Amino acid sequence: MGTIHLFRKPQRSFFGKLLQEFRLVAADRRSWKILLFGAINLICTGFLLMWCSSTNSIALTAYTYLTIFDLFSLMTCLISYWVTMRKPSPVYSFGFERLEVLAVFASTVLAQLGALFILKESAERFLEQPEIHTGRLLVGTFVALSFNLFTMLSIRNKPFAYVSEAASTSWLQEHVADLSRSLCGIIPGLSSIFLPRMNPFVLIDLAGAFALCITYMLIEINNYFAVDTASAIAIALMTFGTMYPMSVYSGKVLLQTTPPHVIGQLDKLIREVSTLDGVLEVRNEHFWTLGFGSLAGSVHVRIRRDADEQMVLAHVTNRLYTLVSTLTVQIFKDDWIRPALMSGPVAANVLNFPDHHIIPMPLMKGTDDLNPVTSTPAKPGSPPPEFAFNAPGKNVSPVILLNTQTRPYGLGLNHGQTPYSSMFNQGLGFPGTGASQGFRTGFTSIPSRYGTNSRIGQPGP
Amino acid sequence: MVLFQKPFSSGKTITKHQWIKIFKHAVAGCIISLLWFFGLTLCGPLRTLLLFEHNDIVVISLLSVLFTSSGGGPAKTRGAAFFIIAVICLLLFDNDDLMAKMAEHPEGHHDSALTHMLYTAIAFLGVADHKGGVLLLVLALCCKVGFHTASRKLSIDVGGAKRLQALSHLVSVLLLCPWVIVLSVTTESKVESWFSLIMPFATVIFFVMILDFYVDSTCAVKMDVSKCARYGSFPIFISALLFGNFWTHPITDQLRAMNKAAHQESTEHVLSGGVVVSAIFFILSANILSSLSKKGQKGTLIGYSPEGTPLYNFMGDAFQHSSQSIPRFIKESLKQILEESDSRQIFYFLCLNLLFTFVELFYGVLTNSLGLISDGFHMLFDCSALVMGLFAALMSRWKATRIFSYGYGRIEILSGFINGLFLMVIAFFVFMESVARLIDPPELDTHMLTPVSVGGLIVNLIGICAFSHAHSHAHGASQGSCHSSDHGHSHHMHGHSDHGHGHGHSHGSAGGGMNANMRGVFLHVLADTLGSIGVIVSTILIEQFGWFIADPLCSLFIAVLIFLSVVPLIKDACQVLLLRLPPEHEKELHIALEKIQKIEGLISYRDPHFWRHSASIVAGTIHIQVTSDVLEQRIVQQVTGILKDAGVNNLTIQVEKEAYFQHMSGLSTGFHDVLAMTKQMESMRYCKDGTYIM
Repeated sequence: MGTIHLFRKPQRSFFGKLLQEFRLVAADRRSWKILLFGAINLICTGFLLMWCSSTNSIALTAYTYLTIFDLFSLMTCLISYWVTMRKPSPVYSFGFERLEVLAVFASTVLAQLGALFILKESAERFLEQPEIHTGRLLVGTFVALSFNLFTMLSIRNKPFAYVSEAASTSWLQEHVADLSRSLCGIIPGLSSIFLPRMNPFVLIDLAGAFALCITYMLIEINNYFAVDTASAIAIALMTFGTMYPMSVYSGKVLLQTTPPHVIGQLDKLIREVSTLDGVLEVRNEHFWTLGFGSLAGSVHVRIRRDADEQMVLAHVTNRLYTLVSTLTVQIFKDDWIRPALMSGPVAANVLNFPDHHIIPMPLMKGTDDLNPVTSTPAKPGSPPPEFAFNAPGKNVSPVILLNTQTRPYGLGLNHGQTPYSSMFNQGLGFPGTGASQGFRTGFTSIPSRYGTNSRIGQPGP
Repeated sequence: MVLFQKPFSSGKTITKHQWIKIFKHAVAGCIISLLWFFGLTLCGPLRTLLLFEHNDIVVISLLSVLFTSSGGGPAKTRGAAFFIIAVICLLLFDNDDLMAKMAEHPEGHHDSALTHMLYTAIAFLGVADHKGGVLLLVLALCCKVGFHTASRKLSIDVGGAKRLQALSHLVSVLLLCPWVIVLSVTTESKVESWFSLIMPFATVIFFVMILDFYVDSTCAVKMDVSKCARYGSFPIFISALLFGNFWTHPITDQLRAMNKAAHQESTEHVLSGGVVVSAIFFILSANILSSLSKKGQKGTLIGYSPEGTPLYNFMGDAFQHSSQSIPRFIKESLKQILEESDSRQIFYFLCLNLLFTFVELFYGVLTNSLGLISDGFHMLFDCSALVMGLFAALMSRWKATRIFSYGYGRIEILSGFINGLFLMVIAFFVFMESVARLIDPPELDTHMLTPVSVGGLIVNLIGICAFSHAHSHAHGASQGSCHSSDHGHSHHMHGHSDHGHGHGHSHGSAGGGMNANMRGVFLHVLADTLGSIGVIVSTILIEQFGWFIADPLCSLFIAVLIFLSVVPLIKDACQVLLLRLPPEHEKELHIALEKIQKIEGLISYRDPHFWRHSASIVAGTIHIQVTSDVLEQRIVQQVTGILKDAGVNNLTIQVEKEAYFQHMSGLSTGFHDVLAMTKQMESMRYCKDGTYIM
């Protein structure tokens, strides 16, 4: 029993907190309506479950799960009210917007799991078809249908409305859109109701009720009890079809992915950023949606050695801020230590070498497989301006790149030798046009392959 | 046998070669028409018409929807669904019961070896005769389509479809001749006079073979093929239905009686509701499939050629492509699965589980035990969680892409979360069921339960041992559960030991491995084990003491245990998904931030965000304000070093000086947010001594 007590202890404080938050939400006028609907929903679900067991119909059970899903969506609505009231806490530094997404995800997944359960049950029922009593079947159907539609249409469920708009169409919607397109060819007036796409929840409620009506008719007329199982499977499949796109959408938000619809805009912005004066390359860009809609992101910008960091930072932020609200930009320069050591001897530069290597080594493995694809490969556009200005710092960066790369990969003594000599060259402050230009052309291809890893070489002591 | 007399066997011209091809063609044609006849005898003409009289286009588009993913949009899928529903209607809802009585076949009309073979095949399948006929006809339909497609090339070679038809009929007549002679010698009793048969035979042959062929070909010439298919199906099916309705008409009855000697007289293929429904579905599907097949035949647009003409990708490519890539895909994914220990373990356990399931299902079917079969389905249901875990373990190693910019590692957490929800659903259902049974305890037949649950227990214990080997710390506990399960009295005690084990495990791994996916899978297996233990215990209690209430009590207890063991998993997964500050790094990060405060030249920091992205990545972003005389890159280096020590391995640091805010306010005349932020920064500059706590 000791273990159970151990569990209960945090639970109680959890419930206490829950009660407190609940009071907070209940202070709002709008949530009263939701609470009322939730109460009605509970009663309704109770009755429906009773009728399910009395009719012994699995199709009605599958339909009842949709009502339970409604309950979840009401809860999600409450959560979204709560989220708007809460400020970010130190522990949840991004705020609680994600809770909304998580609630949507959990409720759609639960609906699908319920559908899976129905599928399993109906597979068992195909083997031994029990008798169905049609007594309360139709009553239950219409109670559930009217309640579901009433809830859907009278409560503005912000998160679910957003998801059902943003997610891709379910197959059910596609079919209905396809049918109604031909229908609207005959009666154009209907296009306002059907055409772009119907609300998936209304659609599945109607379709499920339709399936149940057919079941009722066939059982009444011919005693085809197998129809009940078949329509249960149909309802379960429709539930899958409806919920799957939504759970994929919200799941992708939870997975911190870049939403596909902003990729075009983002690309444009990043291209703009990379043409800013002094910017050499943009990499490690991570953009993801925080809640529904607001974008967060971080990006690393490599700049020329003589560029003004704060200026570039301000410009980059300015460009990206139009799209990304929570933005962090890290500006970095290669070989930034050199100006400070400019007056020093060459040996100082060589001594500096270990700094570039000690830290990257353990990290190599972790970052290696992440970076190459994520970041934009070194832009072919970046070298020309850098070259055109003929600034002293530009020729240096690729050398360091190669340097830090070849060492961990152990490409042999031969390679180790060349960077050294080039280092020597630069250390003396010659932006040698002949020799290092030869290097440049050789190296332009290297950053594009390994360039993303060069960040590793950058942190110092 | 209808192919016996051929009016145009002699009329056509001579060919020199390709006789072998024609011979093959004829043999295939014979086999298909024999199948057709056999289906006809089994199902009756109406159903045969419904099933068999589909145009090639309809069937090809149906097959392309079913077997290639590149179907022609939702309408085609709908058409295919209608077709399948129609076939299922014929199979299930068409209570053609009279045919079922014909289970014993009188030896008389096993006319030939082929018929006999087919009969035995159908009897082996164990379905009723007309259902066998339906299946046979579907098979024949597919064969027919393949045959037609194959013969198209040959017909061009030979010189026209009509000529090929004539020749192949001739050959098939020659083929069938000896057989018929043998038959007519051996089974003389059935056919009294050849002369009475010749007239109806002639008409049947005329209608079925010649007229049908010519009408078909003229239709195809005059109209579009798909249009022909579209409108042709209506009259065919409707007239078939009408004929079926007036089947008692004496003439048709007579015709049929002659056509199929003694077989049909005892049975009547009545028009049932199922047939009507399936006919409607057939009409719909034929309509949809053939109407859209135009698009499907043309293929999908892939681009434009340099001249500006559109280029299409044809269906044949899709067929080849998919058939090529599937085995390779399986091979590669298997290789990937076996590469890493997590997915390998899940995979092996999944195989074991599936094996057990199929043994159970097979045995259940063999002994006709419903309990076993339903338990098998339950196991399949459980396997879905394993499959998901496997996929997550596989996907988490994919390389990062533009969209998944941090990599796919987070999928494991999401999968752990879903698995947790899954277990909660299971616990909920078990709970509801057991409450219902507590109120009204049913009589149980404990006869079959023990061996099955012991088998399940063994399988699951293997799983537990394997998975807890992966988390080496849990090994001892699982040994404990191994022992305690052997003697199942004192249920509470060992339930607790198990529970404690699960709990300890989940907390242990939270600190160490932090692989939510494996945790979810492990808990799933644990729940299964608990289930089979519960079954064993309740069986013992029922058999020993006759306490039927023990079963619901056990399951109630198990449901609660599952629920309680899942809660920490879900909580952890939620925290990660909500981008919480990782709890195991919390203290270090606090210390690190304090250290950052003390860096020389640093004024303050803001927006410190640290979160765990996946098992291996802890990401973080922070904005830092510094005085204008410090070198930014040095600050970046120092902060990076401090935070890396604290465990953050994916960092972005924004270093801001006063100049930045000036630039920003100069740039962003439109961005009031930034201005407000700037003001906030200005004010914050003066309270820099740690009042801004994260």
